[in-house]
Amino acid sequence: MTTSGNLLARFLRGLRANWPALLLPLIAGGALGLTASTWPELVIVLVLILVVVAPRESARIAPYALFAYGGYGLYLMHSLLIREANSVTYGFVHASWRPVFAGDGAWYVAQAGDNRWVLVEAVTCLAAGVWLLARPESLGGGPVRRAVAQLRGTGGQPKTVPPLLLIATLFLWEELFDQDLWFGTPWQSGVTPMMLVAVLIAAAGVAAVLWLPRAAAVLAVAGTVLLGLVGVLSGVQWITHPAMPPVGPWSGFTVGFYGVVPLDSGITGAFAGLEGVALVVAGCLLAPRLLTWSADFELAERAQALARRVDGLTRTRSDATETAVAELRRIERDLHDGAQARLVAVGMSLRAVEQLIGTNPEAALALVAEARETSSRALADLRDLVRGIYPPVLADRGLAEGVRNLALDAAVDVDVDVALPGEPPMPVAAAVYFAVAEALTNAVRHARADAVQVGLEHDGGMLRATVADDGRGGADAARGGGLAGVERRLATFDGILAVSSPLGGPTIVAIEVPCALSSVKISSC
Amino acid sequence: MRVVIGEDLFLLRDGLVRLLEAHGFEIAAAVGTAPELLAALTGLRPDVSIVDVRMPPSHTDDGLRVAIEARRVVPGLPVLVLSQYVEQLYAAELLADRAGGVGYLLKDRVFSDAAFAEAVRDVAAGGTVLDPEVVARLMARRNRSGPLAALTRREREVLALMAEGRSNAAIAARLFIAEKSVAKHAAGIFGRLGLAPSDDDNRRVLAVLAYLNG
Repeated sequence: MTTSGNLLARFLRGLRANWPALLLPLIAGGALGLTASTWPELVIVLVLILVVVAPRESARIAPYALFAYGGYGLYLMHSLLIREANSVTYGFVHASWRPVFAGDGAWYVAQAGDNRWVLVEAVTCLAAGVWLLARPESLGGGPVRRAVAQLRGTGGQPKTVPPLLLIATLFLWEELFDQDLWFGTPWQSGVTPMMLVAVLIAAAGVAAVLWLPRAAAVLAVAGTVLLGLVGVLSGVQWITHPAMPPVGPWSGFTVGFYGVVPLDSGITGAFAGLEGVALVVAGCLLAPRLLTWSADFELAERAQALARRVDGLTRTRSDATETAVAELRRIERDLHDGAQARLVAVGMSLRAVEQLIGTNPEAALALVAEARETSSRALADLRDLVRGIYPPVLADRGLAEGVRNLALDAAVDVDVDVALPGEPPMPVAAAVYFAVAEALTNAVRHARADAVQVGLEHDGGMLRATVADDGRGGADAARGGGLAGVERRLATFDGILAVSSPLGGPTIVAIEVPCALSSVKISSC
Repeated sequence: MRVVIGEDLFLLRDGLVRLLEAHGFEIAAAVGTAPELLAALTGLRPDVSIVDVRMPPSHTDDGLRVAIEARRVVPGLPVLVLSQYVEQLYAAELLADRAGGVGYLLKDRVFSDAAFAEAVRDVAAGGTVLDPEVVARLMARRNRSGPLAALTRREREVLALMAEGRSNAAIAARLFIAEKSVAKHAAGIFGRLGLAPSDDDNRRVLAVLAYLNG
């Protein structure tokens, strides 16, 4: 492949990753229709160069371009500032204007048909802007993404009312204001006091979102419900009296706006009513979530978490005591059937020797040899027993050396990688030791592994052990048996055990126990 | 032959003293703590010593540590370590200095006093005596890499008995083969492990050590 081919491929890849950049030339084209530019082609070419040279940056500013363009569309809808022109092209829409005489001056209003399409385009652009902003890679999308996460209860956010919603609510409210107040009357253009008020309200909204999120969330819900009620009322009015100009905020005007709906007939009135109903329903659905902003709710959540923790502790404690009792029972049985029984036999042999030694020294000698043999067996029994309770090397040297000795005792090659700067508490050390021992035994006995790797490390307050073998896999802690017992024992210390063992291998057993290490030399007494 | 005994339990210490005296050993010192033992080993330099692994002050592996430390100060100082348990890790540590004169036995082996006295003499003479239980666990290892994989089954048997400290004659008797064959197998083992002809006893130690570390 040639270098230019490579460049092209890289460029196309970059463009695919930053596809929102392609919206910029489109928006520029739409915006050009609004102005009487002499060199529209030049502007388009400049924007195209920007997209090619800096696709990533172009993609990041695309949402804001959409906001600006969509916002201008709304402005166009409300605006009578372009009264010099009889028509204007807004993107795909060619809107024309007709003069309306009101009071002592003439002003222009867009034709009803154009009206709607301008609005559709503007709202589409605004929505697309919000959607783009919620993408992970977009610039300044954090607040929007957080708001979306709060709405959906994802990404570690509680399912609640996003304070940011207040901005949208305020925007819709401000839209209700008299157009005259917004943009001035035909004989009074430029900045009006109402525009300042609107800006102040928006600023107050932003401040509330930032510093009083709880109040912002409450206001957003209350505002949404109220707005919905206004929509329902004005919708009903337009349906029942379509010929009459609206009252209230729209009195004296032929066209009012409600949300995304221009109010100019019974049909649009019905739409406004539906929008109002939707807003009331949305507000009512969100209202219960306001509880998440109450301090009581946080307390309740904490209480719930504590209750869950207590449940877990109760369960693991009962597991632990059951395990301990079962262990003691096993030890008792082993002692009873093993060492104890053998010592009884030794005693009986010695008693027989006492009787025989005078009359039959040879038989007595044989009995003594037997007693000696039996006491050896008793010792072997006790050794096995102690290994199962607290293995000597673990007691003498601690976990790291204990695991190394386990590796030496294994029937296969075991590669040990231990990095422990200190010693975990004895109960944890024993639990981890037996966990590794069980995993090693399984690797040899069930997985028929030829080589095993054992790792042991402590990092971030977490003691981790891994046992990985090259065997045939198929292990499952959930099926019970040794690993399930190990899991229960680890759970007492909030430890966990994970097994990855596909059929055909390899098997990896990972153990994690939260614990602190001490540098104190351990001792068996 | 002068012996130092390190054992914290009075009953066992007393029993060892009587047993060894009965077999003609002279008891140079019989002590109950690790620091006393270290002083006795390095100060008296006995012909052989009997050391318990678990001793005061920490009651863990103090005796073992003293034995290793004493052999660092006095290279090749013959030490027979006794314990209620035998562990491969400790065996490897004891043999690590490759100097010979090391024994590592379960305490029960004392019951067979003649064999025990024999083991003490072997260690004093620079031999290596490992408990059959350690050797058995060594043998249990299924697959091995390196030169040990090349040993034949018979050579492995011979090496295991060598590790227990048995002489060629004893190995021959145990395996029902001629002493000459044992010598031949031993030569084969040394050859495969790449041990040059030197002092035969030392080669035995090295072979056992290779086995432990394999």
